[in-house]
Amino acid sequence: MILLCLLIVPLAAGPLAFFLRRRRVMELVNLAAFAILLGLAAALVAQVLRSGPVSLWDGFFYADALSALVVLLSAFVSLVCSIYAVGYFRHEERSGVLQEAEEVGGRFAVDKLREYYALMPLLVFAMMLVALANNLGILWVAVEGTTLASVFLVMFYGRETSLEAAWKYAIIGGVGLSMALFGTILTYYSAYGALGTDTLAGLNWSVLAGNAAQFDKPTMRLAFILILLGYGTKAGIAPMHTWKPDAYSEAPIPGAAMLATGVLNCALYALVRFYILSSKCLGPQFGSRLLILFGLLSMGVAVPFILVQRNFRRLLAYSSIDHSGIMVLALGFGGPLGILGMLLHMTFHSVTKPLLFFCAGNVQQHLKTDLFQKAKGGLIHSMPLTGAAFLMVTLAVTGSPPFSFFQSEFTVLQAGFARDYFVLAIFFVSFLVLIFSGFLVHITGLVLGENPGLPAADMCRWKEYSVAGLAVVIVVMGFWIPAPLFRLIKGAVGIVVGG
Amino acid sequence: MHFVPNPELGNRIITLMAALVLVLQIATVGQRGILSSIRIFAVQSFLLGAIAAVIAYFNQASHIYIAALLIVFLKAGLLPRLLERLVERIGIRREIEPLINVPLSILISGGLTLLGYVVAESFYHPEETSARAALGHNTLAVAIALFLIGFFVMVNRRKALTQVLGLLSLENGLFLAAISLTYGMPLMVELGIFFDVLVAVMILGILVFRIGETFDSMDVSKLRKLRE
Repeated sequence: MILLCLLIVPLAAGPLAFFLRRRRVMELVNLAAFAILLGLAAALVAQVLRSGPVSLWDGFFYADALSALVVLLSAFVSLVCSIYAVGYFRHEERSGVLQEAEEVGGRFAVDKLREYYALMPLLVFAMMLVALANNLGILWVAVEGTTLASVFLVMFYGRETSLEAAWKYAIIGGVGLSMALFGTILTYYSAYGALGTDTLAGLNWSVLAGNAAQFDKPTMRLAFILILLGYGTKAGIAPMHTWKPDAYSEAPIPGAAMLATGVLNCALYALVRFYILSSKCLGPQFGSRLLILFGLLSMGVAVPFILVQRNFRRLLAYSSIDHSGIMVLALGFGGPLGILGMLLHMTFHSVTKPLLFFCAGNVQQHLKTDLFQKAKGGLIHSMPLTGAAFLMVTLAVTGSPPFSFFQSEFTVLQAGFARDYFVLAIFFVSFLVLIFSGFLVHITGLVLGENPGLPAADMCRWKEYSVAGLAVVIVVMGFWIPAPLFRLIKGAVGIVVGG
Repeated sequence: MHFVPNPELGNRIITLMAALVLVLQIATVGQRGILSSIRIFAVQSFLLGAIAAVIAYFNQASHIYIAALLIVFLKAGLLPRLLERLVERIGIRREIEPLINVPLSILISGGLTLLGYVVAESFYHPEETSARAALGHNTLAVAIALFLIGFFVMVNRRKALTQVLGLLSLENGLFLAAISLTYGMPLMVELGIFFDVLVAVMILGILVFRIGETFDSMDVSKLRKLRE
């Protein structure tokens, strides 16, 4: 029942916004829907912790600790982004950006807002379906759904560059996901001999996971490679990452934050589900090597682009490539430590990354540029809250203590040492250090210093709420993880490792 | 009198039609006009629907009939119609300029077909799987070749619309693979995939239209503002 509610709430909120005329009501519908969603997600977590996996309709929908974690993170990110979106779009409307978009796209500002407030819940619906679908085919349909719902977010402003970014996103995503579909078909085929059913249950993950040892091995090998390439494209790991900087820098900030956290989690979640199947069928070694290769490659690719970056929106995108690389690497290291590192990282990433985007958004709205060169520093004086939060979240996102990324990255490092990957661990640490220094140079240059000509920013209170609230959460998370959350993560680790 | 279908005959018909599908795919590679590419795609999808129907008939698997009907209705009817209307509205008459010239492209497609056979050979073991899933590995090889050639078309062509067509024919390869390996995915999944393809084409269509309007061209290589 609760699973159904989790799907229905966003599915109803989307079309509802299409019929609304007043901006205030649209905002309210969005906020209410996502607040309810977060409540439902918490209830689901409680139920999973209390009595194990929940399923519905003969296991058509299925939620274990891993799904519940992804549901919780998605719901949290949606709520936070929708709070920020209120302030962000009010500012955009006042400063006339939406009217400009209207001239390009031939629409009114309210229509533009309606587009956002109607599509965002649909995107969230697709994300919920990713986490709750038991059938791997439906999982694919849902991941494709997240792409389809978010293409419009990328082309939101209707500029030439937005169209270019949206085109890249749709085509690269489309090709990537067709590989994932091929992988899904091959997985079904490799199980076909063992299970011999062509009913719906034949593709159910919970059924497949129980019989994975008898799958046809060569087919499963090819299937996993295709899945890794496919969902890897969606997660933006190198070398399939090229859409990411464009899409993240063209989408409106709340949308970009959703792409960077919620949608990324969905792609990684799909990858983890198949990783479990493949390691049960082929042993953990096979998937590990590939994952480590792609993970380290993503981190390595991000380094030079972060060091010489001129545009702070693109900087965030490369940071996202780096972080998805870290998570894939952690999955590759495997073992209880590696998986724990990955899931902790996913949790912290979902909490921390939105704040980085919000700060960048505030700065961009104030300065009307996203180039470091045109921003002359001194933001700490004209926008103290955002400036301070920006510095703090920069430290957090690059993994410096006491913030929580330090814990997760340290766990990943430990996992690497536990498996005797000394050389890889050295690469891992040196990439992290380089990214840390790159980030610090760029962001301190942006925030600190004197710039007397800069007027004080007028901050909408909605923007301040979301920035301040999230900053508090991040600081608290650095020192204390709620016990139920940690138990949930441990449960999810158990599913990936042993189950 | 009850007629018992002869599976051997079924396999031959399917292999013949799969070969035709492959020929059509290679024809797309050599094709210059956008409208004729769309029509070739429609015929190809129709043939796929026919293959699905034949498989359904010879194996008494009634759920495949629905998939067959869907693919004929969607990919041979609705989508080509939508794409043709899009071509009319943007008013492109110019021919497509591929990056690699036609003879070499066809040669490359031949190579990709060979590759398809090698890959299909490597993991296809009819003796291990149940007898029902033992359709000739020709079909699987064709499916993989369709996938690879579709990929090649997307890389080779710079027109936005041709890239969409490449993506669609790539998806046709997936359909053929699914149907030749496991007699299709479960119906529910199949429906979801069709729905996604439909929505994807609509979104891509809107994008193509907006690109055509904004840039006065459908040449994707003009999309090069976003650089490091």
